[in-house]
Amino acid sequence: MGVSNDLELVESFQKGNEASFNELVRRYQEKVYWIAHRFVNDHDQADDIVQEVFLKVYRALNDFRGESGVYTWLYRITVNVSLNTIRKQRIKDFLRIDEFFDYPSEESEQPDKQYEQSEQKQLIEEAIQRLPEKQKAVFILRYYEELPYEDISKILKTSVGGLKANYFHAVKKIGEFVNRAHRAH
Amino acid sequence: MHTEHIKYFLMDYITGHLDEYDRDQVRLHLRQCSECQNHYNELKAAYDALQHSQKVSPSSAYYSTILPRVQKRLMGHRDSLWSDRKFTPRFIFPLAVSALFLILLIRIPSDSSSEHEQTDALFQAVKDYSADEVVQAVSNEYASSNVLSNQEVVSEGIAEHLQGDHFIREALLKQIEGDEIVDMDIDGVLSGLNREQAEQLLSELSEREML
Repeated sequence: MGVSNDLELVESFQKGNEASFNELVRRYQEKVYWIAHRFVNDHDQADDIVQEVFLKVYRALNDFRGESGVYTWLYRITVNVSLNTIRKQRIKDFLRIDEFFDYPSEESEQPDKQYEQSEQKQLIEEAIQRLPEKQKAVFILRYYEELPYEDISKILKTSVGGLKANYFHAVKKIGEFVNRAHRAH
Repeated sequence: MHTEHIKYFLMDYITGHLDEYDRDQVRLHLRQCSECQNHYNELKAAYDALQHSQKVSPSSAYYSTILPRVQKRLMGHRDSLWSDRKFTPRFIFPLAVSALFLILLIRIPSDSSSEHEQTDALFQAVKDYSADEVVQAVSNEYASSNVLSNQEVVSEGIAEHLQGDHFIREALLKQIEGDEIVDMDIDGVLSGLNREQAEQLLSELSEREML
C-alpha cells in the first residue's frame, strides 16, 4: 500500500480493505497511548484504553463521514475513553471492590522499571492527576500534544476562549500544588 | 489588551506559541501590569517544574503488541459483539458483595413521589453520561430482587463520584444560588435538587460530554 492520508485509509476501510484499519492503528497507537498515559499515569490502564479506543474506532469506522478530521475524531474518542476510565476507577474505589477485581494483565511489555520517577516528577504527575477533568484534558492536549486551540476546540467541543481559560487555570493549579508540597517538606 | 485577556495568553507566551504581534503585546503589558507579572511568575515557575515530567517511553516492542491484541479481541467479539452477555459470571460475586456493602451504607430515601421525580433525573444522568459498567451491573443484578433499587444504587454512586469532581461541583454551585451551600457536601446538594435543577444538571453534564 502506498502512503495514504487518513481519510483515504478510512474510505479504503469502508470499501472492505481491513488492512487500512491496521495502518491507522500503527499510525496513531503511540499518540493514543501517550494521551491515555497522561490521563491515568499508569501503563496498564493506558494500555487498556488504547485497546478500547481502537476497538471503538473499528466499530465506528464505517459510519465515519469525515465531518471532522480523522485524528480529531480519534483524539476525541481517546479523551472520552480516558475520562470514562477515570470515572469508573472512582466508582470502583467508592464501591471498594478492587480487591475482588484481580484482573490478570494480558501479555504486554511491562515498562515499570523504566518508570522510576524523581520526586519532582511524581509531584507533577500527582498535580496533573488532581486537575478537574476538563482542565486536565485541555492541559494534556495543549501542553504535551501541542495541538492548536482550534483542533482542541473540535475535540472537546469547547470554545477557544474557554480552552485558554482552562489551560491557564490548569497550569496555575499545578504550580500551586507543587509549591504547597515543597513548603510542606 | 486587558489583564483578564492577557493572562490567558501567558502560557503560550512562555512556551513560545504566540505570533510576533501577540508576543509584543504581552511583553508590553507585562511591563506595566504587576498583576499579570505575578501571574507570569507563577506560570513560569510551574512551567519550569513541568520540565521534570519528561516522557519516558515504553519499549518499542510494546507498540508491536497493540495491533495483534486489538485484532484478537475483534475476532473474539465478532460472534458476540453487542450481545447481552456484557457481564460475565466472574463479576457476579464481587458485585453481590459490593451491593451488600452498599446496603449497609446507604440511607434509604423516603418514598414520596416528588423524590422519585428528582432521583429519576439523576438516575438518567448517570445512565446517560457516566456510563459506568459497575454501577449498571449492580443495578441490573439487584434492582429486580428488591434488595436495592436502581435509583438508590446509582444516585449514591453518582453522588460519591461527583464529590471529587470540581467541575461539576462548580456547575452545581452556579445553578443553585446562595453562598451558604458552598461547604455543603454534594450528596446533600443532589438530594436537595428539585426537578428543574436536576434537569439543569443534566444539561451541564451534556455540555461536559465530549462525544
